[in-house]
Amino acid sequence: MTKKSATKAAEKNKKLLVGIDLGTSRSAIAADNGKRKWVESYVGWPRDFIARKVVGKPVLFGEEAVAHRLSLDIYRPLKNGVIKEGTARDEEAVKELIRHLLSLVRPESDDSRVRAVVGVPAESFKVNKVALKKAVAEFAESLLVVSEPFAVAYGVEALDNAMVIDIGAGTVDFCIMHGTVPAEEDQRTVLTAGDYIDQQLESFLRERYPEADFTLNMVRRFKEEHSFVGEPPEEVKVEIPVEGKSTLHDITDEMQRACESILPAIVETTLELIAKFDPEYQDAIRENIILAGGGSQIRGLADYLEKTIGEYGPTTIKTVEDPLFGGADGALALACEMPEEYWTEL
Amino acid sequence: MANADSKRVKSVILQGVYEENLKIGAGSSASVRRRAILRHRRTAVPVLLILLVSLALVPGRFSPLPDRTPAAEPSALAEPAPMLPWPDILSGYTHAPLAPPPAEKIVSAPLPAVPLDAGRLLDYDLLLNSDSVRLSAVFGLGVQTIVIDPGHGGKDPGAIGSRGTMEKDIVLDIALRLRDRLQQSGNYRVLMTRDDDTFLSLAERVRFANTHDTDLFISLHINALPQKESNVTETYYFGPPSDLYTLRLAEQENRGSDIQTGDFRNMIRKIGDLLKEQESATLAATIQQSLFSNMQKYDKKISDAGTKIAPFVVLLGVDAPSVLVEISCITKQEEELSLGTESYRDQISLFLQQGITRYLSQRHIQVVKGEKNDKEIGNKSG
Repeated sequence: MTKKSATKAAEKNKKLLVGIDLGTSRSAIAADNGKRKWVESYVGWPRDFIARKVVGKPVLFGEEAVAHRLSLDIYRPLKNGVIKEGTARDEEAVKELIRHLLSLVRPESDDSRVRAVVGVPAESFKVNKVALKKAVAEFAESLLVVSEPFAVAYGVEALDNAMVIDIGAGTVDFCIMHGTVPAEEDQRTVLTAGDYIDQQLESFLRERYPEADFTLNMVRRFKEEHSFVGEPPEEVKVEIPVEGKSTLHDITDEMQRACESILPAIVETTLELIAKFDPEYQDAIRENIILAGGGSQIRGLADYLEKTIGEYGPTTIKTVEDPLFGGADGALALACEMPEEYWTEL
Repeated sequence: MANADSKRVKSVILQGVYEENLKIGAGSSASVRRRAILRHRRTAVPVLLILLVSLALVPGRFSPLPDRTPAAEPSALAEPAPMLPWPDILSGYTHAPLAPPPAEKIVSAPLPAVPLDAGRLLDYDLLLNSDSVRLSAVFGLGVQTIVIDPGHGGKDPGAIGSRGTMEKDIVLDIALRLRDRLQQSGNYRVLMTRDDDTFLSLAERVRFANTHDTDLFISLHINALPQKESNVTETYYFGPPSDLYTLRLAEQENRGSDIQTGDFRNMIRKIGDLLKEQESATLAATIQQSLFSNMQKYDKKISDAGTKIAPFVVLLGVDAPSVLVEISCITKQEEELSLGTESYRDQISLFLQQGITRYLSQRHIQVVKGEKNDKEIGNKSG
């Protein structure tokens, strides 16, 4: 083989390994070329040709889509953790989201074949495997789908006697790791997650400040900046317009109540899942609980859970270092370590 | 974890991921689901046979044999048991005592053995895999208590229209009207999870249904969509248990022909799951059909999203067949205006009633079909 043809063959066989975390609220991608990107999981298409002219693009993603939401048909395809079955636009939105994520880590000139491991909310993993595979087929040579909490667990090497609690926007996913791929009975999903906090906070604020003018999007920002459970770390004051005038509002109590509204389900599910596990290993699991996802950033959450679950025995709760990329990094780790023979062409 | 151990565990996990993904076939989710249901039905065949025979031989509340055991306590069944030829079926078996089970498993007198007849099993396979036969018909299960669950309430307004119309108020009004309509027939006990503007958690709704001998559970909601011009009607029900669950249960069942307490409990649970799924799917279909076909008269552009399977906690938790109806979309301005009128809400309650009534009458048809099939089966084996 000449040097030229060898180079050509190498080019042809060039592969890009990616790990994708397809989240309800945010989606992230990590590639073996070192690039990592994330985007809000919104996809929007211009409503008509005027909107198309205004926004200047055939399809918009993430914050850009949210910013132009009035001109767009906007979708959050994995709302509540699943692609709505039979809704073609949601399936199309997943496809566009994956295309967009790949474009963020792969230059147009790069024609390497993509091998992807995609982490999805546990419910979606159960319900939408085929739809996901179809959505990715166009862009990847081969694909493996895993549940999000499992991808996180693999990424932090919590492979045995560990539990991952992935607190996302649409779902809180629980997963017990015991040295093998978790079975369905090792996993649980609860639907009171980040979005539920937003709804609660919005309702509490409307009740307390009926004259204040705000949107759910603003409420979500308040939560992301100030969320906490337990003792307030400081007074939470935010600016909300009242009759057009920006006014400072104290939302400390409302923030606490809204954030704490998801705790009973988390505690109950954690205890239930551990209690169903082999009693010889229950202590070990309780001492190796990992919080992941955007919700893991709620201040005081790890301490609260450690204290509450600690009543049942010694408990250690850690939080992943980078919740935004925890799932994508884990999926990439899986992609990198997956033996060649396990990659089958789509 | 030691390095060698970690490598070994990773290797097992990676192989597991590969094998899990191999299972994701090229077929549509619907066909995958259908296969799952069929598989479920097939595994139910020997279970059902064993269960029926054991139920027939152990007198009690669950006995499906009419007129054989005195009614020790009031039955929840509203309809008479179907005329199924159980005595004929049973006559083909020889009753012999079982080999004694391990001492710790003995909870009562030893059960008689039920040697299985392959020909009979085939007959049951035909019976259970026929689309026209439902377990509710086979067991002659009736409907006595219907629980209507108006979504949201109290501090939880649900979806809010641009004019401030709240989902919680609309669904409560429709639910009250539906209750009155269903009660008029005098055949059913109709209960509401809430009949005023009270907040109930999902767990409380589930608990209410499960503690009131519920036979049907209908949760009413109004949808909100980001596409303000869209109006969609859809009805949800909960899907079957996982394949793994079925697999493990099948493993347990295949241990032998002796019935032990644990196995027995699992059998009942499994049949219960299948029954719930069959009934929920049928109820969802009749409600959806009635709603969509009638609501089209009011909104020609309304979309039929059909019946869907979704992991709603309330549908999972309620033991009885249950559906969640998303009547329409409050985010469409015209629809919000219509929902604000009493006559429209009354009409919706009528459409829901029609769907439920059609479902209830189909249960009867299924019984008749079940008898027909039994006759065919009887002729075939005879």
